[in-house]
Amino acid sequence: MSAASSDVGGIVRAAESSTLRPLKVAVPKGALFEEAVSALGDAGFDVAGLNDPGRRLMVSGAGVQFIIGRPTDIPVYVAYGGADCGIAGKDVLVEAGLDVAELLDLGFGGCRFVVAEPSDSQARVKERLAHLGVLRVATKYPNITQSYFDSIGVQVELVKLHGNIELAPLIGLADRIVDITASGATLAQNDLEIVDEVLRSTARFVGNPAAIRTDPRVLALRDALANSRPGKETA
Amino acid sequence: MRPVTARGFRDVLPPEAAEREVVSSRMAAVFSSWGYELIETPVVEELAAVEAAAGRLEGTVFRLIDLDGRLLALRPDMTVPIARLVASRLEGDRAEHRFRYSADVFREHESLRGQSREFRQVGVELIGRGGAAADAEILSLLVRTLEATGLPEFTIAVGTVAVLDAILASASMPESWRQGILAAAHQRDFVELERLAREGVNPHVARAVVAVPRIRGQEDAIESARVATRGLGCESALDDLAETWALVGDAGPTGAVMIDFSVMRSFGYYTGFVAEAYAPGFGLPLGGGGRYDRVLASYGAPSPAAGFALGLERVMIALAEQGISIPVRGLDAVVGGEPAEVFAASGRLRSGGWRVVASSLDGVELVREADRLGAAEAITATSGRIVRLDRAGEPALPIEEPLPYAPTATWADSADSGLTASGGDGS
Repeated sequence: MSAASSDVGGIVRAAESSTLRPLKVAVPKGALFEEAVSALGDAGFDVAGLNDPGRRLMVSGAGVQFIIGRPTDIPVYVAYGGADCGIAGKDVLVEAGLDVAELLDLGFGGCRFVVAEPSDSQARVKERLAHLGVLRVATKYPNITQSYFDSIGVQVELVKLHGNIELAPLIGLADRIVDITASGATLAQNDLEIVDEVLRSTARFVGNPAAIRTDPRVLALRDALANSRPGKETA
Repeated sequence: MRPVTARGFRDVLPPEAAEREVVSSRMAAVFSSWGYELIETPVVEELAAVEAAAGRLEGTVFRLIDLDGRLLALRPDMTVPIARLVASRLEGDRAEHRFRYSADVFREHESLRGQSREFRQVGVELIGRGGAAADAEILSLLVRTLEATGLPEFTIAVGTVAVLDAILASASMPESWRQGILAAAHQRDFVELERLAREGVNPHVARAVVAVPRIRGQEDAIESARVATRGLGCESALDDLAETWALVGDAGPTGAVMIDFSVMRSFGYYTGFVAEAYAPGFGLPLGGGGRYDRVLASYGAPSPAAGFALGLERVMIALAEQGISIPVRGLDAVVGGEPAEVFAASGRLRSGGWRVVASSLDGVELVREADRLGAAEAITATSGRIVRLDRAGEPALPIEEPLPYAPTATWADSADSGLTASGGDGS
């Protein structure tokens, strides 16, 4: 942390000593929030405001403005310059397919995209494929799911749902699901069995492609994050 | 029905259209002063012709099917149509061509992305000349063009795709790995780049693949790249870049230009230097370009070529964000009265350089109309005389021969001449 804080110290000083506006950093709510905050804290930022944001969506620290958003919106903020940089899961980055620079694998927030089906339905799924030639798949992530099934040459009809994907096969809405899982516990409790893995995801530090060229603070933060978590960085 | 424009397309109304015209003519004036000639091409190209030069464009290009069942494309840029034009119409003509354009181009975007599907590109192509001098001409022209728009602050990042190409050529690795590296570099996915670099490559290549896209700076960056790529066949690409850099410096101040080896453009046809322009605090590039020596070869007429395009909409946003107002010359007078008198008086004023609207109103209503149209004067024409109206709509000062200068002429000229001083004729 000591080596890193000097980097962030530079970011803070740059914002305080000149007319430079604070660096805008997008932070995802939900599962990644706590570790994202602690990573930013380890990198040397004052994250006191983030620890208890209440209902505020923007929190300021010295030389920085944190923007708290839904995980799936973080790539949008960063790609269009609403935030200079941010933290987002690889899963939402792939699903969004937007132009952001992926600068660092932060190593935390590990999860897997898996294909699952009811444990007793293998035979039925095979039958359906053989006679109808198409599978019905429920997911929150239509882009990732479509490109996965395209890559293995299976035709699918996608049903997009917004939550509780595990329900879909149980109520006859779909033959299989594609969803993210950290431990597999929810799948197991709903008698779903993992049949394939689509993608492994971890949290990434991402930057706006223009900001990484015009604002040195973004790459300084990347280095601070990398240096403060040498053991945790997988890249 | 209440008609709407199609998603991603829009109308441009008077105040904005006038400002766009001013800014694009400032850019055109710079291009002209460097000897670039105006050119036009069809909005529609054969899809096969576009893909032959630009590669697969699934999801990017706006496609149409005509009554003969032919697949057509709305031009996604002007580089490919101009290359097609040179290859097909100026074939055998080995001379240098300098072309400029201001044209609408079309790109497909998924819905709900807040992206336009039609936008105006203002740019140049220099065809038939390769080497550092040609690269430097394009880069210097980009610097001068951005200055001429009136933008106080901008950055131009310059790199070269030839370095990464040379590193990949020197690595004896499967084609799929090379494609993976190129895709990751294009998507600016540094995490994937590092993962691929670890995949059993010789450690020197692996270090270079990871290090080079992170190198940025001024001239020193080229030296850093030399050190990082020693023995990997990048010398000539870096020599070219160093020579270009020196020449650009000879052409004028280059404080806005920096070297950045992570610059990649969205189209994969570039073969040498690539450049991208940014405005501080604006998250999208203003435009960019580079050298694309193989595009004309794909049409059977190999010739070196380079160019750049700026997105007019983005330049306008950057100007607005930096608080720069665009001086637009307004209306000088609204002339009212009997039609025959109005037509005669308006004609005399117009030949004297005035911008005049003919109206059927008179008195206070004419003054109100002049206010609504932003005209400097309300004028009534009666018995062969031209008389200014006061605020109450009463005849006040007559206008007599010789006619005075148009009220808006002086300030518009002075505002414009200051900003186009670096750009030449200002017309």
